[in-house]
Amino acid sequence: MHARVFIKVQRHRILAVLLMGMVVIVTIITGRQYLSLHEEDVFYPSKGLSTKKRLSEYNPALRETPGDTTVYLFQGTTDGVHILILGGTHPKEPAGFLTAVVLLENIAVAKGKIFIIPQANRSGFTHNDPFEGDPQRFHVDTSGGMRSFRFGSRLTNPVHQWPDSTLFTNTAGQKLSGAEARNLNRNYPGKKRGHLTEMVAYGIIQLMEQEKIDLAIDLHEAAPEYPIVNAMVFHENSAELAAISSLNLQLEGVNLSLESSPPNLRGLSHREWGDHTQAKAVLLETANCSHGRLKGRPSARLVVEGKDKNYLKAASLGRLFVSYDPDGIPLRKRVYRHLVSVKALALALQEMHPEKSLVFIHYPNTSIILEQGLGAQLRPPAK
Amino acid sequence: MTLFYHGIVLFLTINLIWYLFREKKFWAQVSTAIVLVIFLLRLFLIK
Repeated sequence: MHARVFIKVQRHRILAVLLMGMVVIVTIITGRQYLSLHEEDVFYPSKGLSTKKRLSEYNPALRETPGDTTVYLFQGTTDGVHILILGGTHPKEPAGFLTAVVLLENIAVAKGKIFIIPQANRSGFTHNDPFEGDPQRFHVDTSGGMRSFRFGSRLTNPVHQWPDSTLFTNTAGQKLSGAEARNLNRNYPGKKRGHLTEMVAYGIIQLMEQEKIDLAIDLHEAAPEYPIVNAMVFHENSAELAAISSLNLQLEGVNLSLESSPPNLRGLSHREWGDHTQAKAVLLETANCSHGRLKGRPSARLVVEGKDKNYLKAASLGRLFVSYDPDGIPLRKRVYRHLVSVKALALALQEMHPEKSLVFIHYPNTSIILEQGLGAQLRPPAK
Repeated sequence: MTLFYHGIVLFLTINLIWYLFREKKFWAQVSTAIVLVIFLLRLFLIK
């Protein structure tokens, strides 16, 4: 009788204890899932790798911060052209990131230097965008098993850079919305001791100056309904280079629209790299459905296969800036597009400056990627 | 700045736990529990 009265009176407290227990369990499970994004992706550089550096060698303020990232250097026996390839500026644009990974796992250089940064905004790989329902990872099948890669956010993790102001004026003087303070591609030329994203941008600019980079390529993806897609955005110092490489790509059947970098849109790589360094600056965009607003349910499959019925409908209504068929725009096609564009740019630069040539001993086999998939040019995971 | 953030989140988390034990309406308790998960993830700087 007493026990029954006690339960009736204290029922809400007993429920509170039960709910508190559930809160702890849910927090532990979700917390572990979120924290798993802090585990680094594993890459297997080719034998052509000369050395691995850290971005903090160019901006010491980055040392021991989540913004410090690995720079892979492939150096020929003789000097030639110096190229910087940046993937992962926006970690939710996987073709840019994976193109850099395919390159670092396959290339060897006889003449010239290639610097590859596969995860330019390393902090952005440690979280997802809230409310987007994006997958945490996507997978690529290789000959020796599945490789897993993180699908991050467009922005630096707010745990690493906080708070966002309502408005943000970047180091180039452009006024933007507050969250853009965490967008690496709005923070050039950066600041030596600014907030984390500014310091990363500054480190990249320093690398370009100290290593005398001749050509810098920033690899991106955009939604198929976005006008600047399957495009090459170039600084005015790179107009000739962009035109030659685009013509050569057209001969290979790869159509690329050319977009000049707007002089009044400041803080972006294609603008500030060209303004602040000697490098020719180019940004490449492919079309990615998982990035778009018209997509259905987001999933790792959508990231890899690029198939979405909403985009088919949008294409039939003429709402897209790229052609779209039932085969979709898979990751292998997007990486293929970036790889052939990078090679075309390197060859065009050589055509313009024969004294600064670049000789590859090995370059990823792009036809195999198109026919057999991306895994054919990625190394199998270590057991 | 992070110290202030921790202080504010800790204060609100304690308030939510206190409210969870005092509240007598079932759905209000469930709602509080859901909000608590988010506050705990923030308190430990996980998300």
